[in-house]
Amino acid sequence: MVQYLPILLLLALVVAFAGGSVAASRLLGPKRPTGAKEGPYESGIVPRYRLAARFPVRFYLVAMIFIIFDIEVIFLYPWAVMYTQLGVFGLAEMAAFAVVVFIAFAYLVSNGALSWGPRQGRGGRAPVQLARSTTATVRRVPRPVELIQGKAPLPLGDHGLEPGRQPEPLPAGANQQAPSAQA
Amino acid sequence: MDWAVYLVGAAMILTGALGVILLRNPVHCALMLVFTMFGIFLEFINQGADFLAAVQIIVYAGAVVILFLFVIMFLGVDRKEAIGAERLRFQRPLAILLGLVALVEILALSRVDHWVSGAPAQSGALKGAGSNVAKLGQSLYTGYLLPFEMTAALLVIAVVAAVVMSRRHQPSAGEMSPAAQKELRESHQSALSASDPSLAGRLEAPSE
Amino acid sequence: MGGDPLFAHGLSLAVWLILLGKVVAVFVIVLVSVLFMVMYERKAVAWLGVRYGPNRAGPNGWLQSLADGTKLLFKEAFTPRTADKWVYKLAPYLMLVPIMIAFSIVPMGGEITIAHHTTYVQLADPPWGILFLLMASGIAVYGVMLAGWASGSKYPLLGSVRASAQLISYEAVLGLTTATVVMVTGNASGFGDALHTHAIVAAQSGHLAFLHWNFIHTAFVSFILFTIAITAEMTRPPFDLVEAEEELSGGYNLEYSSIDFAWFYLAEYAALVTNSAILVTLWFGGPNGPTVFGHSIGPFWFAVKVLVVLYLYVWVRATLPRLRYDQLMDLGWKRLIPFALAWLMIVAGFQVTNNVSGSGFGHWLAQKAWGFVAIGAAIVLAVLFLRAVEVGGGASEVETAQQDRLAPDGREVARRGGTP
Repeated sequence: MVQYLPILLLLALVVAFAGGSVAASRLLGPKRPTGAKEGPYESGIVPRYRLAARFPVRFYLVAMIFIIFDIEVIFLYPWAVMYTQLGVFGLAEMAAFAVVVFIAFAYLVSNGALSWGPRQGRGGRAPVQLARSTTATVRRVPRPVELIQGKAPLPLGDHGLEPGRQPEPLPAGANQQAPSAQA
Repeated sequence: MDWAVYLVGAAMILTGALGVILLRNPVHCALMLVFTMFGIFLEFINQGADFLAAVQIIVYAGAVVILFLFVIMFLGVDRKEAIGAERLRFQRPLAILLGLVALVEILALSRVDHWVSGAPAQSGALKGAGSNVAKLGQSLYTGYLLPFEMTAALLVIAVVAAVVMSRRHQPSAGEMSPAAQKELRESHQSALSASDPSLAGRLEAPSE
Repeated sequence: MGGDPLFAHGLSLAVWLILLGKVVAVFVIVLVSVLFMVMYERKAVAWLGVRYGPNRAGPNGWLQSLADGTKLLFKEAFTPRTADKWVYKLAPYLMLVPIMIAFSIVPMGGEITIAHHTTYVQLADPPWGILFLLMASGIAVYGVMLAGWASGSKYPLLGSVRASAQLISYEAVLGLTTATVVMVTGNASGFGDALHTHAIVAAQSGHLAFLHWNFIHTAFVSFILFTIAITAEMTRPPFDLVEAEEELSGGYNLEYSSIDFAWFYLAEYAALVTNSAILVTLWFGGPNGPTVFGHSIGPFWFAVKVLVVLYLYVWVRATLPRLRYDQLMDLGWKRLIPFALAWLMIVAGFQVTNNVSGSGFGHWLAQKAWGFVAIGAAIVLAVLFLRAVEVGGGASEVETAQQDRLAPDGREVARRGGTP
């Protein structure tokens, strides 16, 4: 266990260094918060909409399949350390394991579970893609009617919203300067 | 020395576990779960099970909790939830009952049996020469062949579950007939023309 | 049994002092090389583009990164209102700390004797050894993920979703190729301590100089796969779409300022230095190299090799364009992982009966038979897998076409949100 002592000491040193520099930054840096500084970044405009709340299911699939391969990799290590001693029997054992998991993985791939991005090759796409819908996994946000109709977007003010829809309220305090900036 | 490490690890585990239960924000809960993993990691090292300690971090902290976080963060579960509303009515009493049973089991085991001592293992694979991981490999790939291969079957089940998840709510391949495709394109056309009369003559004809 | 011989006789005062000296030395080495690397990259990219690069701060501009760091220290550190304060502050450290500690397993030389205490020229040689690489990259995912989420802002969240999926996708390749090295090491040393980095380096020494190095031993393939995977793991170009400025205007660390931002920068380059050092350890024999008048100059060879690898990274950055996200995912899952797995099995097949002695064609065949069996099986499975990829791509195509349809209100065209 004493072999871990240097790592513990290095950890302590790195943490101390990190803490020290944060303290130094607190001490040396100015502290002049303004509303604009503390708003979430939105390429210079005042943020109007909340974050997309959901992401495509592919990302969870990636995480799930990663667990499967991670477990396989972890099983490989004790075998890799001992495989000379385990001999051909060990090799066959591991090969059986790996092949079974690999064929399952091929099944997964053949179902398109890991196919990303645009279609390749033939097949027509819709002429324009204007908005995300309720069937998509990304949450739909209200958009200016100009954008929906495919015209040039106007600057975002309180006008220009889709008729009958109000922007969803941002978390408290995040939208303080919104109307005055445009008015 | 051993006792000090044991106590630090145990404190980490308990703090993490309490955090998982008591914190309100699910992301914070998941982070406390990672903290618990590090406590367990420390206990494994204390027991001389170095490989298992590494596995604890690589698989549990590095993969399983990452999946939890994916679901929590990117499905929007991290918003405020009404904890009062319960879908399963007997959830709470059942949870309390099961928790009590588990507690009694642990206490009974620690009273009755002698193996919960906190001392490093003195029997089995740890004794003798050779590194920890080598012995683990030796016993895993000779004595525990069947469970090992069964793990492959378990992973296959997980893969199939993933496939089911990816296909849900999605039409299967080849379902869309040419007629349906043509209709779809025409509806694109009319909708666009309706929304902007100036586009009416300028859109390409629906392709076959 | 492996392990640093420093601790063989207990912890005396001298041992503690040596230990503290080593800890501080490693810390300084990492920090200085990070400062150097930030500058070196800017200079080298400038040279490759026939520019001067920064040339004002210090002699010829070489103190630029120090000046940048100092400047950041004096800047205001502000937190977005939408941020989750604690997690927001924690994220940079979750990135930096594991990767800086991971340098402790890198062997920079053979052995050294100070005041009758022999020790490795390497901070620590724990029994889990090279698994530390996987542990560090597993924990580093948290930094990226939490930084983006805790900012409570759009671009960072998109960047962190991308980044965390990318990091976990390439971690499996990292594990598979590193397992190949462990296997080759175990075969060469014959003991159960093949996870120790010291043993990995020791197994690569011998009379034939670089012919003993692992990148030859595993016939280049594993090395190339490992290099691609670790480049993606560091989100270095051409895998840097995590911080694609055209799309995400900076990515997961967008909302960070002052010293918090400096930590991300530091972590990125510390990862570059540490992972280059680990790459040299695994594939290029670490500090192994010719001796000078009978004296071993391991640290020198180690430094030279690491510098060459670091230059390669800069070169790649200046040369290759960025991948698209679907290309990135396809490369990781549908090319690298199957290839790495197959190659692991093939190497195992060729080496498993290495101890069959004798000479002549018959013995050679007996030695290598399982390797050829593995190659055959790999080809069969590759054909199967290629078919699976083909079918899978087609399925996705139809799905997308079907989802391109109008919503009932007639104004919108539905589209699956494929790649944020």
